[in-house]
Amino acid sequence: MVGVFRLVLVILLGVVLLVGAGIIAVRLLRRARNRRLAALAAGPRRSLLAFVADNGEQGAEDLIAIPEDAWRAALPAARSLLGKLRGEAHAALVSVFLHRGAARAALADLRSRSAVRRARAAQLLGDLELRQAVPELCRLLTDRDHEVRVVAVRSLGRIGDPAAAWRLIASLDLHDPVPSLLATHTLVQLGADAEVTLSAALDHPEARVRAVCLDALGLIGATGAAVRMARVLREDGNLDVRVAAAAGLGRLGTRTAYQPLAAALDPTRPPALRAAAARALGDLGSPVAVPALAARLGDGDFHVAHDAALSLRRLGPDGIAALRARAEAEPGTPAAAHCRESLAHAEVPLTGMAAAR
Amino acid sequence: MEQFVLHLLRVADWAVLTYFVALNSSYLALIVLASAEFAKHLRRQSFAGSDDMFRSPLTIAVSVIVPAHNEGPGIVAAVLAMTALRYPRYEIVVVDDGSTDDTFDKLKARFDLREVPRVVPADIPYQSHVLSVHVARGDFGALTVIRKTNGGKADALNVGINLARHPLICMVDADSVLDPDALLSVAKPFGDDPLRVAACGGVVRIANGCKVVGGRVVDVRMPKSWLVRIQVVEYLRAFLMSRTGWSRIGGLVVISGAFGVFRRDLVVRIGGMATDTIGEDAELVVRLHHYLRDRGEDYRVIFVAEPVSWSEAPSSIRVLGHQRRRWHRGIAEILSKHRHMILNPKYGRIGLLALPYYVLFELLAPFVELAALVLLPLGLWAGAVDLAFAWRFALVAYGYGLLVSLVALLIEEVSFHRYPRWTDMLRGVAAAILENFGYRQILAVWQVAGAVAAWHGRQAVWGTMTRTGFDDHDHEPTHLETVGS
Repeated sequence: MVGVFRLVLVILLGVVLLVGAGIIAVRLLRRARNRRLAALAAGPRRSLLAFVADNGEQGAEDLIAIPEDAWRAALPAARSLLGKLRGEAHAALVSVFLHRGAARAALADLRSRSAVRRARAAQLLGDLELRQAVPELCRLLTDRDHEVRVVAVRSLGRIGDPAAAWRLIASLDLHDPVPSLLATHTLVQLGADAEVTLSAALDHPEARVRAVCLDALGLIGATGAAVRMARVLREDGNLDVRVAAAAGLGRLGTRTAYQPLAAALDPTRPPALRAAAARALGDLGSPVAVPALAARLGDGDFHVAHDAALSLRRLGPDGIAALRARAEAEPGTPAAAHCRESLAHAEVPLTGMAAAR
Repeated sequence: MEQFVLHLLRVADWAVLTYFVALNSSYLALIVLASAEFAKHLRRQSFAGSDDMFRSPLTIAVSVIVPAHNEGPGIVAAVLAMTALRYPRYEIVVVDDGSTDDTFDKLKARFDLREVPRVVPADIPYQSHVLSVHVARGDFGALTVIRKTNGGKADALNVGINLARHPLICMVDADSVLDPDALLSVAKPFGDDPLRVAACGGVVRIANGCKVVGGRVVDVRMPKSWLVRIQVVEYLRAFLMSRTGWSRIGGLVVISGAFGVFRRDLVVRIGGMATDTIGEDAELVVRLHHYLRDRGEDYRVIFVAEPVSWSEAPSSIRVLGHQRRRWHRGIAEILSKHRHMILNPKYGRIGLLALPYYVLFELLAPFVELAALVLLPLGLWAGAVDLAFAWRFALVAYGYGLLVSLVALLIEEVSFHRYPRWTDMLRGVAAAILENFGYRQILAVWQVAGAVAAWHGRQAVWGTMTRTGFDDHDHEPTHLETVGS
C-alpha cells in the first residue's frame, strides 16, 4: 500500500511542478507575444491615428501598404476605430478595409463552420456598413447559433437597409428568437422607410412580432401608423401587445392618440394597461389629458395612480394645478400622497439621468 | 473488540482520504468547466456588443440598490464611483438602515439631498419604518437615499426593491468598488436573453493592496498580509472558478450579495429577500430556482467572470472568523430551509446535483477536515495505521488541494492575468502552499461553529467588521470602518 502511495505522491509532485512551470511559461510567452505585437502595431497605429486626425483625407495609401503581419497586429485598434467613427473618416477607413480585402474575406467567413468566425465576420460587415452584405446577413438570421443571429441583427441595424425589415420581423417568429429589444433597436435604425413593413406586420399572428413592431413604430415616430396602432390598442387579444400599443401611441404624440389612450384608462381595463396608458398620456404632453388622468389618481392599483400623478406633472401648469387641488382636497388619502410626491419632484431641479427618467 | 476498533479507525482514515480525493476532484472538475467558459468568453469579446448596448436607447434600465449601515467613512466615495459607471440608464438607491454614524449627513452634504414625499409601494413586505426619502439635486445621476429604522440588510434591500423604478435590480455592498464596465457586463445577459435570464452574478475579487483612484481600481496588487493573500487564492478557486463552473452546467445557486443583478418582477413575485436567514443572497437564488422550477419555466441563472466588483477582505483573524462562521451558518440555514429540494428530481440539476454537492462538499467538508485531524493521530496512536501511511496520507490529501489551487492560478494567468507583477504571482503560489498549514484547519473550526449555531437556532448576528481600508489615492477616502446591519 505504501508503494501505491509513493507512486501517487511522485505523480502528484510531478503534476504540481508541471503546473507551476506552466504558470511561469504562460506568463513568459504572453509577455513575449505582447512585446512582438506591440512592436509590430506601433507604426500602423501611428498611421491610423494620423489618418483619422486628417479625417481620412490623407494616408490611405500608407495604410493599404502596411505588411499583412503588422496590419493583423493593429487590427483590434483599427476595428475599434471603425465602430466609433462616423461620417467621412468612417467612409475613408472603410475604403482602406475594402482595399485590403477585408469585406471579401468576411463574406467568405459568413459560411465558415466555426460560429465564432461567422459572428466575427458579421460584426465586421456591420462595422463596414456594407449594403452588399445585407442578403448574406439576412441569411444568418436563421443561423443555428444564437450568438451569430444576434450579431447579424446588430450588423443589419448598423447598415440600416430597410430591405432587411421583413426578414428581421420573420426572424422574431422562430423557436429561439433574437431578443425583442435588440430587434426593436435594429428596426428603428432602419428608419422611416421601414414604416410600411412595420405597419403591415401589426396583423402578424405572433404577439411578440406585433409588440416589437409597435415599439419600433413609436420610436421611429411613424405618425402615419397612429390609426392602426389605436386599433391594436382597442382590439388586440394580447395584453402585452396592447401595452406596447399604448406606449407607442404616447411616443407618437399625435392628436389622434389621445382618445384611444383615454379610453384605455377605463377602470374595466387591466391595471397594466391602465398604467401604460397613464404613462403614455404623460408622454403625449397634451393638457387635454388632465381630466382623464386626474380621474385615475384614486385608482385602486398603486402603479396606475402613481403613474397618473407623475404624468400630470409632465403636462405643465394644468397638470400641476390638478395635482395641487387633489392634494389639498383629500389630505391623508393615497391619492394625495401620490400628488405630493409628484409635486415635490416638480420642484427639484433634477439634471442628467434623473431628468431623463 | 480492540481489533474491531482498530479496523474501524483504519476504515475511517480511508474514508476520509477518499472524501478528500473526491472533494478536490470536484473542485478540479469545476475549474476545468470554468476554463472552458473563460475560453468561450474571451473568444467572443470582439463581437459581444457591449458598446452597442451602451449606445442603445432601449437597454434595460437598472436600479442599483446599496444597503448601508454605519458606512460613514466610505459611503461618499462608494456612491461617487457608482455614479461614474458606464451604463446608459440606471438609478442608485442607497438605503441607510438606521445608521448611528454620519452616513446620511455625509451623503446629504456631498450630493445636496432634498427630502421628497415618496409613497413606498408595498410590493414586498418589510419590517422597519421608512423615515424619509431624499433625492439629489445636482448632476449625480438618479440618486435616491432612503432613511429607515434598523431592520437588517435583507430588510434594507426589500425597502430598496420596493422603491426601485427599473426592471432590473443590482444589489451592491456599500464598500464595493465596481469596475467601470461591471454593470454593463452583468446586465448584458438580460439584454441577450431577456425571456430566460432570471439572475446574473458578477465576480467579487479582493481589493486589499490594490491602488484605488477616484473610486476605481487602477493597479491590482497582492495584499501585504499573508492572511489576505491566502484569501485571494481561495476566492479565485472557490468563487471565480467554482461559480463559473456551476454556471456552465446550469447549477449556480449562489450569487454574492456584494454584486448581483436580478429581474425585479421575479424578486417581487417570490416575496423579496428572506429576513430569517443570514445568507439572504444565496437563499434568494435558491428560492428563485424553487419558484421557477415549480412552474416549469425555462430560465437561466448565470455568472459572469469579468469585469468585477472589488471588495475588501478581512485582514484580521477575528474578523475572518466572524465572516466564515456567518457564511457557513448561511449555507446550513439555506440547505435546511430548502431540504425538500435536495435529491428531488422535480428540481433538476439544482435538486439532484448542486444542492447535494453543497451538502456533501460545502456543508460537511469542515466536519470531515476536523475529523481527519482527530482520526489520523488517533489511528497512529492506537496502531491502526503506521507512520509511513500517516504522512503519505497527509501529503496526498493536502498535495491534491495544492494542485487544485495551482491549476486555478494557472487558469487565472491564462485568462485574466490580473496580477501583472512577478512577485505577486510568486506570492500567490506561496499562499496556495501556506493555506494548508493552519489556515484550512482554523477555517474548519469556524465553519463547524457556524453550522452548529444554525442548527441550534441561535440569534443571527452580523457583528462589527473592522476594515483597514483600500490603498486609495483619491481625495475622497474609501477607508471603511464598519459594515453589517
